[in-house]
Amino acid sequence: MGELKVFLQTLITGLAIGGVYALMAVGYSLVFSILNFSNFAHGVVIMLGAYFGYYMCTLFHLPISLATTGAMLGAGLLAIANEKLAYRPLRLRSAVPLYFMISAMGASMFLENMVYVTVGAHFFSYPEVFKGSLSILHAKIGLLDVVALCVSAVAITGLTLFLNKAKLGIAIRAASRDMTVAGALGVNIDKLLSVVFFIAGAFAGIAGVFLGVKYMVYPTMGWITNKAYIAAVIGGIGSLPGAVIGGIILGVVESFVATYVSTALRDVFSFSLLVVLLMVMPSGLLGKTLEEKV
Amino acid sequence: MKRWIAGVTALVLMLGSALLASGCSSGSKTIKIGHAVALTGDASVFGQSEHTGLKIAVEEINKKGGILGKQVELVAADTRADPTETVNAVRRLVEQEKVVAIIGVAQSGVAMAATPIVTQAKVPMISTTSTNPYVTVDKSGKLQKYVFRVCFIDPYQGTVAAEFAYNRLNARKAAIMYDVGSDYSQWLAKYFEDAFTKLGGTVVGKEAYRTGELDFRAPLGKLKETEPDVLFLPLTQKDAALAVNQARELGIKATFLGGDNWGSPDILKLGGSALEGSYFINLASLDDPGIKKWIEQNQSRFGGPVVRNALLAYDAMLWLADAINRAKTTDGDKIVEALEQTKDLPVLTTDKFSVDPKTHNPLNRAAYITKIQNGQFVFFERFEPH
Repeated sequence: MGELKVFLQTLITGLAIGGVYALMAVGYSLVFSILNFSNFAHGVVIMLGAYFGYYMCTLFHLPISLATTGAMLGAGLLAIANEKLAYRPLRLRSAVPLYFMISAMGASMFLENMVYVTVGAHFFSYPEVFKGSLSILHAKIGLLDVVALCVSAVAITGLTLFLNKAKLGIAIRAASRDMTVAGALGVNIDKLLSVVFFIAGAFAGIAGVFLGVKYMVYPTMGWITNKAYIAAVIGGIGSLPGAVIGGIILGVVESFVATYVSTALRDVFSFSLLVVLLMVMPSGLLGKTLEEKV
Repeated sequence: MKRWIAGVTALVLMLGSALLASGCSSGSKTIKIGHAVALTGDASVFGQSEHTGLKIAVEEINKKGGILGKQVELVAADTRADPTETVNAVRRLVEQEKVVAIIGVAQSGVAMAATPIVTQAKVPMISTTSTNPYVTVDKSGKLQKYVFRVCFIDPYQGTVAAEFAYNRLNARKAAIMYDVGSDYSQWLAKYFEDAFTKLGGTVVGKEAYRTGELDFRAPLGKLKETEPDVLFLPLTQKDAALAVNQARELGIKATFLGGDNWGSPDILKLGGSALEGSYFINLASLDDPGIKKWIEQNQSRFGGPVVRNALLAYDAMLWLADAINRAKTTDGDKIVEALEQTKDLPVLTTDKFSVDPKTHNPLNRAAYITKIQNGQFVFFERFEPH
């Protein structure tokens, strides 16, 4: 009985962590599917999303739902600005993806250090919301995790519907096949990319608020997205269902390694998993192409 | 026109060099003390308060005429509580600023990184809060001649925590979670385990995680199954705040017990209600009447809650000033001798500050048990060493 309880608890914890990984991985995959580069600035957009949400909760005393909406909007606009300032000039010069990636790293370092200089290195915690936990067969799951899982599921389903049904969504999928041809056929690529980055940013905003509420808010919190990036690669970067599956797999594997092997060795396992998987399936579980994967 | 520019340039150069020269000569009129401190980064809450405490001590000393008739000049260098940054900061203090002594490097692992540099330069260093025994005496038992500390050490702290858990909380089953990436955490966990077992208690579970971890639910879930009375968390305030919340979420009912690293007031906000009823071992009690008065007098300088590092840095400066006055010179070796011979010196946190010359650790440092109640630090009791 005790063994089963531990197993169930481990599984639930893994799913909860995996849900947040999935939410972050979607942002990576979305941008990769169109521009074919790894947007390493996604982590700081998540971090700033967490700060936006925090300030809306504490300075303006907004409820968490409005603060999350605000964080989505703020992070979305920030992501658009990031694209316009850091990637568009490269795009117009038809630079290779490597330069986009380096530009992303630059933007990431710049924003992180801006937070250090302006806000400082202090830790902040959100007001206590969704406190408490539910019991499922003696295993506990935090109320916040339940909310996070539900919101992640709704957001990802919504995005999938948008990409498959809406006109703009279809244009995005067309551009992800071939941006040049889509452009030649009358899709406004500039506008389309703004929409893509806004969506990625809004997802980062949700992820940031959840991370902030679950853990805390501080300038280097964006580093956790390394895990989300691995999740995206496991699932096949560029593929949305892949990002979700990759996130959940990574969360569950980490949780089981931490419980049954050792917490200290957990990251060794996550990274080994990535290496082995890429040796067997070089494009990830649901990857669409092999070219320009970084 | 060109000649005019040349003339101005020459004038500026002359003025500049004159200023430089006067700067150099005034250097010998002051005594430069370095402060290697985490002004930014994760430990900045401690570092900023420590720096303010030290500045207050220096101002008071200067008002009374300074040391050896010279004014004290404080030079700060940011360590970010990071070993690499610290090596650079300490090197700058001894090589460029030519300080006569250094106060600071609050973290044990980081202080050890600074040790070779101060030893080579023969500049004494007084660490404020590094509690690991190997900071002043290395693993082979050799005394680090130039390194001192004002705080107690971890074997003592671990013993206090174990005795408190066993005798006062009546705990018989203890669980521990610690950070394998931190010397402080790893050793304090071990000292607690040894002492608790010696007293007759059982350590039912011991789990490790790696620095930077945010989610402790996997190790905590394992510890929950052992049903401990006490969960010992020798962690930083950030990790501890996360861990107590996640432990309560998983339904762990044990009393939480922490080390001196919990003594940063921001833990109260970060940890929230999950911290209620927890205890930790502190280096100084902010409720002590003498300390309370000092804090009230200087509150406006801090612009926020006063962290115990401020008190220890203040003590370190009084100790250093006393030693240099007795040594009658700023020669490193002579200062070391005087520091070693300190006995019954009245400082802020104790009336009789004495040093063990064999270990460079203070003697008779009391430990203070602090309880977290109604979202505040409350003095619980004072533990005298046996």
